[in-house]
Amino acid sequence: MKVSLNAIRFMNQRYGTAGEVVPAGGVNQLVEKIGAQLGAVEEVIDVGKKYKGIVIAKVVSCESHPDADKLSLCRIDDGRKVKGVKRGPRGLIQVVCGAPNVKEGMLAVWLPPGTIVPATADKDPLKLEAREIRGQVSNGMLASSHELGLSEDHSGILDVDQSVRPIKPGTSFAEVYELENDVVIDIENKMFTHRPDLFGFLGISRELAGIQQKPFISPEWYKENPIFPAIEGQRLELKVQNELPKLAPRFNAVAMSDVKVGPSPIWLQVELSRVGIRPINNIVDYTNFFMMETAQPLHAYDYDKVTAKDAGAKHATITIRHPKKGETITLLGGKEVKPHPEAIMIASKTKAIGIGGVMGGADTEVDATTTNIILEAANFDMYSIRKTAMEHGLFTDAVTRFTKGQSPLQTVTVLAKIVDEIRKFAGGKVASNLRDSKHRLQNPEPVKVTAKFINERLGLNLTPAKMARLLENVEFKVMRLAGGSLGVMPPFWRTDIHIPEDVVEEIGRLYGYDHLPLDLPKRDLTSVEPEPMLEFKAGLREVLSAAGANEVLTYSFVPGQLMKKAGQNPANAFKIANALSPELEYYRMSLVPSLLDKIHLNIKSGFNEFALFEINQTHAKDLIEKDGLPIEEYRLGLVFAAEAKRAKYKYQGAAYYQVKKYLELLLSHLNIEAVYEPMTLREPKMEVGKAAAAPFERQRSAYVMTKDNKLIGEIGEFKPSVTSKFKLPAFTAGFEIDVAQLLKQQSPQSSYQPIPKFPKVEQDISLKVPGRVDYAQLHSVITKNVDKFKPSNPQFSLNGVDIYQDEEDKTHKHITFHLEIASFDRTLTAEEVNKLLDKAAAEANKKLGAERL
Amino acid sequence: MGYEIKKVADVADVLKKRLKTMEHKPSILRAIELKALADEIPLLKPEKRAAFGKELNKLKAELQKMVEVAEEETTKLEPIDVTAPFDVNTRKRPRPLSSELGSQNPIMADQDELINIFARMGFTAIESRQIDDDYHMFGSLNFPEGHPARDDYDSFVTAEKDKNGKPFIAPAHTSTMQNRVLKQFKPNLEKGQAIAVVIPGRVFRNEDLDPRHEHTFQQIEGVYVDKGIHAGHLIATLKTFLQEYYGQELDVKTQPFYFPFTEPSFEFAMSCPFCRKKGCNVCSYSGWIEILGCGMIHPNVLKEAGIDPNVFTGFAWGVGTMRLTMMKYGIEDIRHFNSGKLEFLRQFK
Repeated sequence: MKVSLNAIRFMNQRYGTAGEVVPAGGVNQLVEKIGAQLGAVEEVIDVGKKYKGIVIAKVVSCESHPDADKLSLCRIDDGRKVKGVKRGPRGLIQVVCGAPNVKEGMLAVWLPPGTIVPATADKDPLKLEAREIRGQVSNGMLASSHELGLSEDHSGILDVDQSVRPIKPGTSFAEVYELENDVVIDIENKMFTHRPDLFGFLGISRELAGIQQKPFISPEWYKENPIFPAIEGQRLELKVQNELPKLAPRFNAVAMSDVKVGPSPIWLQVELSRVGIRPINNIVDYTNFFMMETAQPLHAYDYDKVTAKDAGAKHATITIRHPKKGETITLLGGKEVKPHPEAIMIASKTKAIGIGGVMGGADTEVDATTTNIILEAANFDMYSIRKTAMEHGLFTDAVTRFTKGQSPLQTVTVLAKIVDEIRKFAGGKVASNLRDSKHRLQNPEPVKVTAKFINERLGLNLTPAKMARLLENVEFKVMRLAGGSLGVMPPFWRTDIHIPEDVVEEIGRLYGYDHLPLDLPKRDLTSVEPEPMLEFKAGLREVLSAAGANEVLTYSFVPGQLMKKAGQNPANAFKIANALSPELEYYRMSLVPSLLDKIHLNIKSGFNEFALFEINQTHAKDLIEKDGLPIEEYRLGLVFAAEAKRAKYKYQGAAYYQVKKYLELLLSHLNIEAVYEPMTLREPKMEVGKAAAAPFERQRSAYVMTKDNKLIGEIGEFKPSVTSKFKLPAFTAGFEIDVAQLLKQQSPQSSYQPIPKFPKVEQDISLKVPGRVDYAQLHSVITKNVDKFKPSNPQFSLNGVDIYQDEEDKTHKHITFHLEIASFDRTLTAEEVNKLLDKAAAEANKKLGAERL
Repeated sequence: MGYEIKKVADVADVLKKRLKTMEHKPSILRAIELKALADEIPLLKPEKRAAFGKELNKLKAELQKMVEVAEEETTKLEPIDVTAPFDVNTRKRPRPLSSELGSQNPIMADQDELINIFARMGFTAIESRQIDDDYHMFGSLNFPEGHPARDDYDSFVTAEKDKNGKPFIAPAHTSTMQNRVLKQFKPNLEKGQAIAVVIPGRVFRNEDLDPRHEHTFQQIEGVYVDKGIHAGHLIATLKTFLQEYYGQELDVKTQPFYFPFTEPSFEFAMSCPFCRKKGCNVCSYSGWIEILGCGMIHPNVLKEAGIDPNVFTGFAWGVGTMRLTMMKYGIEDIRHFNSGKLEFLRQFK
């Protein structure tokens, strides 16, 4: 919301509503107060400075540019005011102009060389110079309203109206438009979401007085039930049929005759231009101006054009209804819209003439030929207006205001004011009775609140009298009730004060939040409830990063293509219905595909080996909680990759074992012993399990199980199709683990082992086993039997040292373990340890057909 | 697979035969014969073109499938013993990478630090959800159905519906957890203790990406409820937290704001900790940095969680932590965080 201090000042002078708006401390102090008590100030624009050096000039001649069809070669007169510019005969200055509306005799706004285009002043200032355009020198430029930073209109250059008062060429632009000493303060709109009144100068001005703890008195005419003038002379029939009383709770209209349409007085044009509204004609300008002043949108229709819509009708009828099937309407500005079925249409008896609360229709607009008009001041449902605006992309000034919930109690007030203005200054006569369709209007109700309630919530100690004064400054009525209670009656334009907390906000703000006491809340020494998950995850990240892995974050949403590349079926993934980017199609079902997607780009950037991991949530349609919400699975994914040369030089064997090393590291940290079950043994039952397993090559992958047979994840190398589609190096593997299971399974038991006093004995044992026997089986049998036959209270460890298999003959393999054993009671001998291993080997022979070598 | 148009059928036979002997199988899809068939289409009578085109596409699809099958076969990998700690016939043993190469994502590391500060101040931490329903995201937070304030949250929604027939929502703020947290910790109030919870989590806004805008980012919500809590407590708590984080004294200020779920609502700014208010490019030479949104919890939000707003009051805030991290390290592009680029990640050891 851009607030021109001059606009506020002029209004206060016009109506005597408040004193000087800028405090003794100057504009900066005002800006600080606005920030602290009204809303964030986005920008303070020194308007005068922005227009320095810009003058009004007369276009004396205008010819086609010899070498460009769409350009004109103009000679302009600046009354010889501007210095240092090259002048031709008669002191005229040559300017090239591309606007279609440039013509001889007009007054235009000239930006001489050396000036800055005002619209660019804030961001990337464009300084003009004399330069050649297609072989012709242009001394600066003639500016459009857009280039002047007044509005978005750049259809042509600004045509300075001189019908109301003569303007001499060479006059400063800022002087003519009363911008010289103006400062515009841009306050963030969001703050005003629930303050419809602040979209008008009256509201802003009232608030500026209130936060400076000064009284504001609304103009005499701004009261709830104004006296509405009676019909004068000729009568124009006007019927209003409101078929949508809920969506249009109030609809006021009146007809006026004998209106003289023409340009507005310059002060009005200036007021509108200053806030970026293009002056059109006096009637339209009044509707816009009083909207700017009161925040109540208004609309004027041409009475005769409305009547002509209904064949054979003599009188105007206005109907408020939903669109008829297939109905379209061409709006002001020429856009044709087919309104959605629940839009609020303003129509004649038979045909649409506007979309209520959004924009009027083009073919009933007020123009130079108009003599009779209908004026509308209505109130519409904010939700409905919002829907229509969103549906059709129509974000007008009226929409901005109606979507904040304007008060339906001010429509007649504002209508009476504009009628009065048109009677006085545009010759209009009231030609119908006031039409007032109203439905369940709610008058503001007093809010009862104690001073104690307010002080408790602000940490203050204000007296009821002080509170009352703060509120009365902005025209609340405050009744002092018994026991320090206040009965707070909001004024009719406020729609946001319903509960005691609303009054708390109002008082806090008007008093100034910067005066609140800054105390910390007091609490006892009860320790904070632990919530283990976050801390647990932090621990996992610590372990993995200490093992040289890099934590990545990737998006929770993935394209369907990525899932397909990983062999997953997107049908089981939640689908995003409204993403701007096609990259964000589905909630991911597992993390590994996102990680695979980051391998190739890093290899390409020259990283030849790395481990990437991520801890994040995943979702799938077949995992739903009892309350109907998707279950959030916490997962840990890790991938390891080494490009070919590095892999050959540094690693031997399958990449699987490298990634397994990472998992084992993590599990040993958590005291979890895992079982690796070959993936070839079974299929996952659930869809989500299939998705997790999908990218893995079954021959070289495993399910990670706990000892009590709970699935905690998958680990392995990837399918050749996955490898080729993600352009992975051959030496790539990964795992994905359920973090919640890890948290559950981690053992709080200490893995500490006391240290035996007696020396340890170390021995290797090599066994030849059939090819089908796997490492873990053999390790487990030997361990069990060493434990079973162990001599006198020992402590031991058994680790794999080597696995050998003939390349040609895979029927057998040799596995060598290294045993370290020590007793707490005595020194063990090499022989007894060797015997122990013999016994274990004998058992392994019985169970697995192993032979000790 | 049969082909009704003879020309296509002939080419199919030729190409299938050739595929068997080809070294680089995918090249079959660029065979000159396929191109020749395609070039014929414009020369056909208009009514025959569609059928011909269909046949040609069918052939291409068949070949594509054959290439995929062939590739799977040629690259078929030998089974391995997944229970072993290392591979057969190897001398080198798997070893993790050097610890020096490892790193944590700066967003997560910073989040840990923030949670830690709040833990010291007495706040429990609970993680936010990444998919939620309309009730928690809006309804329980005093956003009426269709309220224009919802427009400020460009949230992603799913095609799937919740039990009330509304789409699931990718939360656009961690406030989506407020109602749950208030309910979960309500027993604290009954025991005469405060509710003090922070809620870190990933949130989403449907925005286009650029160096300053992400659709996926990180927030920490805070909720504090007890008897006699006022707006001054809110400001003091946030000031204390920021001073802890930056390790220096700061000035703070509030600006009125609007959120449906707090009343009053504020935008909270701190004096720039990088230049100590002298003006620098982090604070755009204003000396101040707007850092978060906050306010006193709206009575309707408390009521919705079964807490009597006449007895208890509280405050809440939400802070986007990626911005804190960006300012801390001088990170120039917000997209780096989720890029997975090691050039970026390995700088945060």
